[in-house]
Amino acid sequence: MAQEIKIPKLGLTMTDAILASWLVPAGAQVTEDQIICAIETDKVSFEVPAPCEGLLHPVVEAGRRVEVGERVGYIAVDEAELSTLQEAVPVAGTGPAEGKSDDFCQPREKGEAGEPPVSAASAPRVEKRGGDRIVASPAARKLSQATGVELCDIEGTGPGGRIILADVEAFTEAARAERDATRYNFGSAVPETDLLTAAETVPIRGIRKIISKNMKLSLSSQAQLTLHTEASAADLKALRTVFNARLEDDHPRVSYNTIIVKATAVALRLYPMLNASVDGHQIKVWDQIHIGVAMDFGQGLVVPKIRNTDTKSILDIAGELSDLARRAEKKRLFPDELSGGTFTITNLGGWDIDHFSPIVNFPESAILGVGRIMEKPWVQEGRVIADLRIPLSLTFDHRIIDGALAAQFLKALKDRLEDTRLML
Amino acid sequence: MTDRIISSSAALAEALHEEMQRDETIFIMGEDLVSHAGVFGQFKGLPEHFPGRIIDTPISEACIAGCGVGAALTGMRPIVDFHFSDFVTCGMDELCNQAAKIRYMSGGQVKLPVVFWCPDGAGLRAAAQHSQSLESWFVHMPGLKVVVPSEPSDVKGLIKSAVRDDNPVMFFQHKKLFAREGPVSEDDYLIPLGRAAVKKEGKDVTLLCYGAGYYLCEEAAEKLAGEKIDAEIVDLRTLKPLDMETIAASIAKTHRAVIVHEACLTGGFGAELAARIQDELFDELDAPVKRVGARDVPIPFSPAMEDFVLPRADDVAAAVHAVTYR
Repeated sequence: MAQEIKIPKLGLTMTDAILASWLVPAGAQVTEDQIICAIETDKVSFEVPAPCEGLLHPVVEAGRRVEVGERVGYIAVDEAELSTLQEAVPVAGTGPAEGKSDDFCQPREKGEAGEPPVSAASAPRVEKRGGDRIVASPAARKLSQATGVELCDIEGTGPGGRIILADVEAFTEAARAERDATRYNFGSAVPETDLLTAAETVPIRGIRKIISKNMKLSLSSQAQLTLHTEASAADLKALRTVFNARLEDDHPRVSYNTIIVKATAVALRLYPMLNASVDGHQIKVWDQIHIGVAMDFGQGLVVPKIRNTDTKSILDIAGELSDLARRAEKKRLFPDELSGGTFTITNLGGWDIDHFSPIVNFPESAILGVGRIMEKPWVQEGRVIADLRIPLSLTFDHRIIDGALAAQFLKALKDRLEDTRLML
Repeated sequence: MTDRIISSSAALAEALHEEMQRDETIFIMGEDLVSHAGVFGQFKGLPEHFPGRIIDTPISEACIAGCGVGAALTGMRPIVDFHFSDFVTCGMDELCNQAAKIRYMSGGQVKLPVVFWCPDGAGLRAAAQHSQSLESWFVHMPGLKVVVPSEPSDVKGLIKSAVRDDNPVMFFQHKKLFAREGPVSEDDYLIPLGRAAVKKEGKDVTLLCYGAGYYLCEEAAEKLAGEKIDAEIVDLRTLKPLDMETIAASIAKTHRAVIVHEACLTGGFGAELAARIQDELFDELDAPVKRVGARDVPIPFSPAMEDFVLPRADDVAAAVHAVTYR
């Protein structure tokens, strides 16, 4: 007699979970207590063991929300029982969801190590009914598009959880209230009195308005945290000297920033999660690295990008940075040079700032703050020496980047600045 | 001019009276017309007023339909009374292969101003051969117009337009509605073919109906109002040509549609209408389009079984509950 695989209750308040993935192909032999699938609640990830020995027959496809106690599959005792089951209850597709991305809520499987993908051949896909596709009425879809509401965020109350017009309307109303409560709001200014008068009244518009909106959006939508460290800049300085000594007079100089940009690109390749954005209920880990460098020439902050930073040489980057800075000063940057970045570097060292906590350049997920490079007493092998030090501050979105990962990235960057040969 | 409360039969007789007075080429032929003024009294007064223009025929629908086509071809405006719409089957060749085709095949050289008048519908304990609703057959036939009025005022305005039309028109009137009364203007007015009427405005659901289905919707809407569901009733009146504009405007407002007809569900006009709605108004819909119609069986002779087979206002209400998720 086949045993049912049911979703375990992992806590008092747990009512449902996402069936994240099947870890064993359909039809495969499993032993008792072998891990067969992974589930995720809003708090934890959990691996579900097989209740007994036998042949796996999954009936719920990966990516779906499942109730506690819901049957997601069977363990058949033998081939005969497996084929009976296969006939009675079709095997659920177990591959990653396909289709238009806005129809799916679950993050795509990234094929992490230790998570063998179930081959499509061993688990024939069945027609999607419900599953991880969002079921919504056409009118509800139309309204959600018109109002910019994400269907993934809405709980459907129609048959089978269908999102209906009333659900979108109710959500839109709630979302509007929330947005009104949290939107950047300059309305409630301090009133002028006899004792307090404005010397100047500056309208918030243009670049100031954009900056205001982005800063507020960044802090209100992400869980930001800053890590601080310091690196030796002796090798950085040496490398800069080597380059600049050999440059033609008219070639843009290699600055500390130039090399920091390059080192950051190299480190981002090692830790791609720092080069990602949150898009609705998905994390988009970007394939390209486009590092933006914050610049301020007294007319508002701009962050032009260096496209495909990791593929460029230090001299290329020096040239581009110089060109961007020249044009930023003259307000000659193109809009597409200011958008579509994946990581930002901001340097306040020129104003004698050591450490600070920069705000992530939304919708990116991390930003590096570089402080003042200066000689400091440093203890090395029991002796105090004068070392050239560079402060580094990394702010990141803790929703998708864990502290340890961010620290590892920062360490990798520090290593490459202290020994620039590691960039090779 | 004032409205009077009169029956559908009286409204029809009045309309024909006005038309026959106006146009001498109009005449009516069918079975038992002169002696009975029509089985439902629908031609009351006409035999006396227009002697020789109401013609009794032998019991042969093929013959009557053929005569109608021939007379129309020669410049007359005949009205062919089918006695019971069920007997269209006997005149099918004349209707579908002749009447529906001649204008097209002659390249528009001839007109075919003939009205095939067909009393249809169930509920009179008349059994399977005298109770059918066959309008969708003719909607499927290019070359024919199909009119199915509900209220007496619609009967008057639509039959006058049908008689004046230069194309063959199938005109279905539900037998059970002949005695049903309603306000009808004394005016000489026309209701153009191909124009639906919003008979009750509402915001929660669109009830699309025609003929006897209209009264089911009216009853259901009243019941639903007690549940705070505000139904809009769109009486299609003409199935071909179809007034998609009015239908679209209503569904764009309510986002839900229930189609109600007495004809059986499978292959009924509701199927065609539902298809057009999903095709043309997909993004407006908040729920699948529901249809209400008779069960797919011959109409039983047993009163209890006949009632069971026919759609009721409760069925309309249930469909509305489904599409409004309430």
